[in-house]
Parts: sequence; structure tokens; C-alpha cells
Amino acid sequence: MILFRKFRVLILMVFLIACTMHIMIDLLPKLERRAGSSTGNSACSCSHRPSEEPQSWGKQRARPGAESGWPNKHTLRILQDFSNEPSSNLTSHSLEKITGAGERTEAFKKMEHYAQNGETKKHFIQDTDVVKNLPVKGFTRLSTLFEHPLYKTALPPLTDEDTLFNVNTDIRFNPKAAENQEWHNEGNEEEYTPTGESSADSYPNWLRFHIGINRYELYSRHNPVMDALLKDLVSQRITSVAMKSGGTQLKLIMTFQNYGQALFKPMKQTREQETPPDFFYFSDFERHNAEIAAFHLDRILDFRRVPPVAGRLVNMTKEIRDVTRDKKLWRTFFVSPANNICFYGECSYYCSTEHALCGKPDQIEGSLAAFLPDLALAKRKTWRNPWRRSYHKRKKAEWEVDPDYCEEVKQTPPYDSGTRLLDIMDMTIFDFLMGNMDRHHYETFEKFGNETFIIHLDNGRGFGKHSHDEVSILVPLSQCCRVKKSTHLKLQLLAKEEYKLSAVMAESLLKDRLTPVLIQPHLDAMDRRLRLVLKVLADCIEKEGYSNVVEDDLDEESAHTATSRR
Amino acid sequence: PTGQDAGGKKWGSKLERLFAHPLYNIRSPALGDEEVLLQPEDLMNYYKRKVSRWERHQKYYNEVAAATNISLPDREAVFDPEASWLKFHLGINRYALYSRDDPNVERLLQDLRSTAVINADYTQDEKALKGVCDCSQVVKPSGHHLKLALKLKDFGKAMFKPMRQERDQETPEDFFYFVDFQRHNAEIAAFHLDRILDFRRVPPVAGRLINVTDEILLATQNEELRSVFFTSPANNTCFFAKCLYVCKTEYAVCGNPDMLEGSMSAYLPGLSIAPRISIPSPWIRSYTFTGREEWEVNPFYCDTVKQLYPYNSGNRLLNIIDMAIFDFLIGNMDRHHYEIFTKFGDDGFPLHFDNARGFGKHSHDEMSILAPLTQCCIIKRSTLLRLKLLSQEEYRLSDVMRESLGHDMLRPVLTEPHLLALDRRLQRVLRVVHKCVRKLGEAQVVAVDFVESHRTTA
Repeated sequence: MILFRKFRVLILMVFLIACTMHIMIDLLPKLERRAGSSTGNSACSCSHRPSEEPQSWGKQRARPGAESGWPNKHTLRILQDFSNEPSSNLTSHSLEKITGAGERTEAFKKMEHYAQNGETKKHFIQDTDVVKNLPVKGFTRLSTLFEHPLYKTALPPLTDEDTLFNVNTDIRFNPKAAENQEWHNEGNEEEYTPTGESSADSYPNWLRFHIGINRYELYSRHNPVMDALLKDLVSQRITSVAMKSGGTQLKLIMTFQNYGQALFKPMKQTREQETPPDFFYFSDFERHNAEIAAFHLDRILDFRRVPPVAGRLVNMTKEIRDVTRDKKLWRTFFVSPANNICFYGECSYYCSTEHALCGKPDQIEGSLAAFLPDLALAKRKTWRNPWRRSYHKRKKAEWEVDPDYCEEVKQTPPYDSGTRLLDIMDMTIFDFLMGNMDRHHYETFEKFGNETFIIHLDNGRGFGKHSHDEVSILVPLSQCCRVKKSTHLKLQLLAKEEYKLSAVMAESLLKDRLTPVLIQPHLDAMDRRLRLVLKVLADCIEKEGYSNVVEDDLDEESAHTATSRR
Repeated sequence: PTGQDAGGKKWGSKLERLFAHPLYNIRSPALGDEEVLLQPEDLMNYYKRKVSRWERHQKYYNEVAAATNISLPDREAVFDPEASWLKFHLGINRYALYSRDDPNVERLLQDLRSTAVINADYTQDEKALKGVCDCSQVVKPSGHHLKLALKLKDFGKAMFKPMRQERDQETPEDFFYFVDFQRHNAEIAAFHLDRILDFRRVPPVAGRLINVTDEILLATQNEELRSVFFTSPANNTCFFAKCLYVCKTEYAVCGNPDMLEGSMSAYLPGLSIAPRISIPSPWIRSYTFTGREEWEVNPFYCDTVKQLYPYNSGNRLLNIIDMAIFDFLIGNMDRHHYEIFTKFGDDGFPLHFDNARGFGKHSHDEMSILAPLTQCCIIKRSTLLRLKLLSQEEYRLSDVMRESLGHDMLRPVLTEPHLLALDRRLQRVLRVVHKCVRKLGEAQVVAVDFVESHRTTA
């Protein structure tokens, strides 16, 4: 009895502590957010602060490898079966496939709603010029890098043709969205304003991100929305989870409290694990930390072609199992012999008990990548990479046997004009730095035609081996011997001791929840690979002359800016 | 007489001392014709037929190859009536697979290690699946696992299981018993442990380095097997189990660049001359994530089993308990069935087949494997005496195992933690027996077993 009484006190204590913890945890993000929005926005020239409950709106990322790929279960070509066989024509994804229709129509409705305040759009686009609100704290290298003149070149002036959304018109042009809006208008008018202070004239971060997309970049350099969006990805309550259909490896689509969506890739490998030497590039695991690191690397290279990605610790019970309506996913949850919660989902690669993803006991790491705008609103074109690998164990691709392959490519549209070939070179360098051999396709926004950047999606297969530099990734560069001057200068800058790539990357990655995202050998490998890229370029210049190799994109741009400055 | 034999030697090794111990030198009763599995003439005729079929087939195959201008390496097969595997088959009797002092076992192990391979093929249970892969199955049928039947130059056959895991890797804690890896070193170690425990119910297994190109790819006549070979980006020769690969549960196994470790376990006589039956273990697991079997919830489960045929009489239950002890020592939770030779009827010994899922975790003792012993509280006297012996300093189990495994080509077969776990688990077995004796009395628990009583009186 005495014993029992003692226990009662103990239980009470535990209960009290748990309560306090809960309250603290609830309060913390709010405080943080408040602090963030007050510092962030005071400097911002725009009149709209990010809402207190920022929203992110999901977009199904068109994954080339996935949707319609795989003809039935690879019975015929067993030797190819680990390949990420993509289908070539994926520009039109059916909406129905993607997520719960409920969230979608909700999202459309929101879009419509925000659209009515179209004039405010310009503020976001002009964020480009806002350089004041740099995050200068303990981080020195990164901020000095971003202070460098090379990171201050401005974009050409933007017309309606150059922005992804003309908020007023786009909705009208989209009958589907309008339709959805109509039949959905019946019941849930009150759900318009999700919670708190979000009101008609305050855009959520995900929408600000979408509206900011233009012909030249996914987001502007010092856009405060990006930091807020990253924070959203980590802190927003997850309201529903669906499995991404047709994908090769398991990915989950997470919908947040306020209809924002993100793509979740769970952790499959520890930081220290390297891809086994006998693995082919198409049988490699997708790594959540590679997704995170790729976003940071892309930003440091000033490409800004990767949608924002943040790491998050997810509670598998509360944030996945209990909120999914997907029976197939739900069915694969089990408790392991070590009493951890595990699941394996349904997909064609590594979705089996042998590869179950287990929490400790129920926390699992993963990356959350913000969705791009819905394909219904902003169609994307999928292009086959001319230097695509064979995805076959024995066959070689054409570029592997033909040293003059680039000459052919140069004469084929769209590589024969504009900056497309140079963009491919940028992507090649980006992939080589990460060691990503899986770039079979790339995407662009259809609206911008051929004069636009390419989106660097799906970077999960980077950062697999730190002890190996896969020089075949650099083949496009060594075959074509072309590079943008801006890229070349930035690479040279990042090779300098005071801007060393590994150091700025390490600094940038520190901001992620899952820090350390990369182990030191991976960071060091990037410095080594950067030198290799510069060596290839130096050889090219020596062989073909500076002006034939380096395309001066800086002059042109500064000319543009000179006239466009208001 | 055996004692004198022992006295003359110097005791350099614990293993020799163990096998010289009186407990290991009880003479077996004389065997009648009915107590031997095979008659020499029957076996000879059977194999001569097989050999001539093979030769016909080979001739035809070579002609086809010559016609298509493929030069095949010359793989000469020699039928030897004195071959070690034939002797092994002839030596199988109602008490054990081989006798204690049989010099042929050493010869057989040596042959498994070094005799040239003349043919490689899928095993029967894989072929029985006829290439059907159901990726949604959580528990994969045994035919899905990567193993090959290799034919040796003397027509002997062996089951080859390649290395899948490093010696120091443990089964991940979240793995269920039915998704665990197949370990080649567990196969080898299980044979040695079984011999040390004097059960002699595991067919001889030896470790071997196989040249996957020469001895499998170029030796096979199975087109499908040939098609699963490829060269990895690191330039190693690799091959894979088709179904597990298609279902993306397992990647290929790769040589370095050609050489691959594996276990070679001797084949038992063909089912047509020595039929066996496969019986589900009464202590079978549910093979699901959540399901529980009756024995896991009912502590009096054994009382029911004892009433059931064939466990209600003879040695069967005691043999099951031997098997449970053996499995507990190696940590094998995957014993769903056991096989016995039909010829020996209900009193035949169960074969301890397929031990590749043992030795997965050295830091964990899975007590549920011992359920037959803890629930039935009965053990053979002979087994108990040997277990006690092996727990003594001068015959310590880990030491004799280390020594015995030292003879294998792939030494060290087991890491130290696994060897030391054997001692720890042995203590746990003895503690369970001790508890039973305290509860029920020695007469109830320690069964003077059928064979043993025969021997002592003999």
C-alpha cells in the first residue's frame, strides 16, 4: 500500500512534467514564428506579412520516373528492372491520381480567393531587389558570399509574360479550377479562412512562393518567404498523408493544416552509409539528406532551381498512420520485434518488409519538399536529358561511345538557341558536385517556352559516395566545352579559401532541423569535385579559347538591369 | 576399450578430449538391415542410372554447343563407387546421419571443399515455383532464396548458399524471424555444433570459395540461371535470386571479382530412394506481424501436445526438445517444419535442416525458442549429460566449437561474441532444466531415453 502511494506521487509528477512539456512545445514554434515574422518583415518592402499560420499549397511534382512508366511488373526485362524507366510524355498528369480531391478543390478555391487581389502580386516578384533582410547572425561565410557582387546581379525586368501567374487571368483561364470552385462552394464557405489572422489580403508562404516563380528562377535571392516556407515545412501540423502513386521508391504526400502540401521522403540510410560499389545508379536508394543538401547547394550556386526542402522529424503514429486515409499504406504498419513502429508502404522499389522503415520508437527522419504549383495551373514540360544513361546493366548510351555527341545535340532544338544548352551545363555541374547519376529527365514551365530555366527536381540519389567522383557525370561539360560566365566565376569564387564551398555548405545546412545533414567527407568531396570541374573548364579554354567556351551572360543582364531599375 | 584408446593420447585439444570422453563413446547397437536407410545395391543401381542419364545429356549438350561454335570447358565427370558422398548415404541409419568415428565425414567435407564443380542449377524448390513471383507475400517461400545445387566431379551434389552478410553484422533489431537473412556461416557452424552435441542430424557442411564465373556461370546449362548474371559497376561478377530481385527486396550477390564465399552442404539421398516427410513443428510460429500461436499464450500447451499422436509415445517429443535446444543455441527462430525419413517411422530422428537463419544476434537470447523444453519439462538423459559436460571448463562449448570451426576453410566462421553466446545460452538451458527438476523431480524430467538405455545395457 505504501508502495502504491509512493507510485501515485511519481505518476502525478510524470503527468505534470508531460503537461509542461506539451505546453512548451506548443508555445515554442509560435514564439519563434512571431519573432521570425517581426524581424523578417519589418525590413520587407511589401505590405503583406506572411500570415501567422503560413500556408503552403501543394503541387504534385511531376516525377518523370513515375506516373505512367513501368509497364506491368517488369516480367520481360528482368535485367532492366532496377532502372528508373521513365516515360517520355508526362506533361499531362491526371489530377485525380494525385491526392484527395478534397484538398485539391480546397486549394483551388483558395487560389481563386487570393486571385482577386491580384495587384499585390508585384510586390513578391520585386522581392528580388530586397537585399536588406539578409540573415546575418553567427553565420559569416555564407552572408559574405551572398554579399559578393556576383550574387547581386539583377534579373531583366519582368512582364506578365515572365511571371508564372498572372493572378487575375490565370484562374479565369482554368476552367477546371473554376468548375471545382463552383461545386465546392456549396457547403463550406466558412473554411475560407483557415485559422488565426490569415485573411483575404494576406498570402500564405506557399502561395507567395508560387507567385514568385518567374522565367528566370524559382525564387528570388533574398526572399524572406523562403525562410518562412522552410519553417512551415517543419512546423505545420500534418492533416493528411497519401502515398505517391506510381513512384519507384516510397514517397508520401503530406498535406498541412491549411492545404499546403509537400513531398515526404523518409530516411532509408544512415549518414555514414555509402552506396555499395556493386550497386548501379538506378538501384541506389533515395536519400532524404541528399534532397535537403541539394536545395542548399543549388542556392549557394545561385541557380535557385530546386524547390525548398527541409528536414523534419515525423511522428509515424500521429503524423502518418493516424491521419492517412490510404488503406494500402495503413495496412503496412506493424510493430517490430524491438517494439518500434515500422511501415513499408507500396511501391515498386524497396517496399517490402525487408526494407521497412522503422522509427525509434515512432520518430522517423525525412525530407519535406515544397510542392510546385499544380499542373492544372502551371503546366510543365518534361524533357529527356540528352545525356541520359542507358538504365541497362550492359548497354551503353550513345554519348558514352560518341565523343562528338555534343555537336549533334547543339544542332537539335531546343539546344540550338537560347540558354538551354548552358542550363544543361549548369545542371551537369550541379549533379557532378553531388554525384547524382540519375538525371534522366528535367522539367520546365510550359508557359515560358524554351527561354527559361530548368527545374532541378529529384535529387535523392546524390551524395551516395563521398570517396568516389563519378566523372562520367561531367561528360556533357567536357564534350560541349561551354559554360555561363556567371557560373564559371561563381565556381572560381567557391574554390577560394574564404568562400570555400564545403564551409558555406556546412554553414547553410546548420539551419536545418536534421543537422548535420551531411557528414564531413561529403562536404570535402564537393571541394574536390569543384576543382575537377574547374580543371575540365580550364582544359576546354586552353583547347578552344576563352570566348568559345565561356558565354558572357553577365553583360547582357547588367544592360537589362540598367534599363529596368526603377 | 575406448577408454584405453583415449588414454594413450596426449591432450592437446579440448575437442579431441571431448570426443574421447566416455559419453561420446557409448557403443551403438548393431544395426539390422531394416535400421539402415539404404541398401548398397539399390543405391548403386539408382546412381548408375543417374550417371548414364547425365552422360547422355552431356553428350547431346556438347554436340549442340559444337554445332553453334561455342567451346565449352572440358568438365569431366568420374563415377567413383568409393566416393565419399556415396559412403555418407550408405552410412545413414535409424540413429543418426553418420556415426561418430566415421572417417568418411572428414573425406566428404574435404570433397565439398575442393572437388571440381561440373554443373550448377537451381534447386528443386525454386524450380517448383516455376518462376512465379508474388511480391506481396510477406513470407517468401524457401524457393525464393538464393541457393544453388552444384554437381561435383564425382557426381556428388551440394547445396550452395552464398555469403549475404559480413561476419560482424547482426540481424537488425526490427527484423522479424521470417525476413532475416540467410547466412552461409550459420549453416557451417550449425553442422559443427550438431556434431559436438552428438545429435548428428545435420548433413555435413563445408565452407568454400567459389569462382562464380567458372564454377556457376560457365558450368550451368540452365538458361535462366545464366540470365541472372551481370557485371557490376565495380567490375565484379554478380548474380541474383530472381524473385527477390524483381520484388526489390534483395540486391545481387557479387564476387570479388569472381570469388565468392559460401556454404556447401551435402545432399541427402534422393527422395525417390529415401523418401522423407515434412512435419510442421508443434511450436510453429505465426509468420505474421501480430499473430500469436497457441503455445505463445498457453503455458500448458505441452499437455495437449503430449496427448497427440505421434508425440504421445516413443522418442518423438524428446527429439523435438533436442531440436529446440539446438535451435536455441544457434538462435534459429525459423524452424517451422522438420523432416524425417519415412523408412524409420515414428521413432526416426528429425533432420536439422536449413539452419541459415541461426547466428543472427549474439547479443540476444530468444527464450521463446526454448518453449518446448520450458513447457514440457522433459529432456533426454543423454542430452542433459552432454550439455552438462559442455558447460565444464575443460570441455567448454565455445572452446570446442572454436576448435572445430578452425578446420573450415572460411575460418573464422563465427565471431567471438557468437561463440561466447553459446556458453551463455547453454547455461540458460541448464537453468531451465534445473528449475523443472526442482518443480517436478528428476524422475519426471530426465527421461532415460530409448536409445541410451539400449546402449548402456549393451
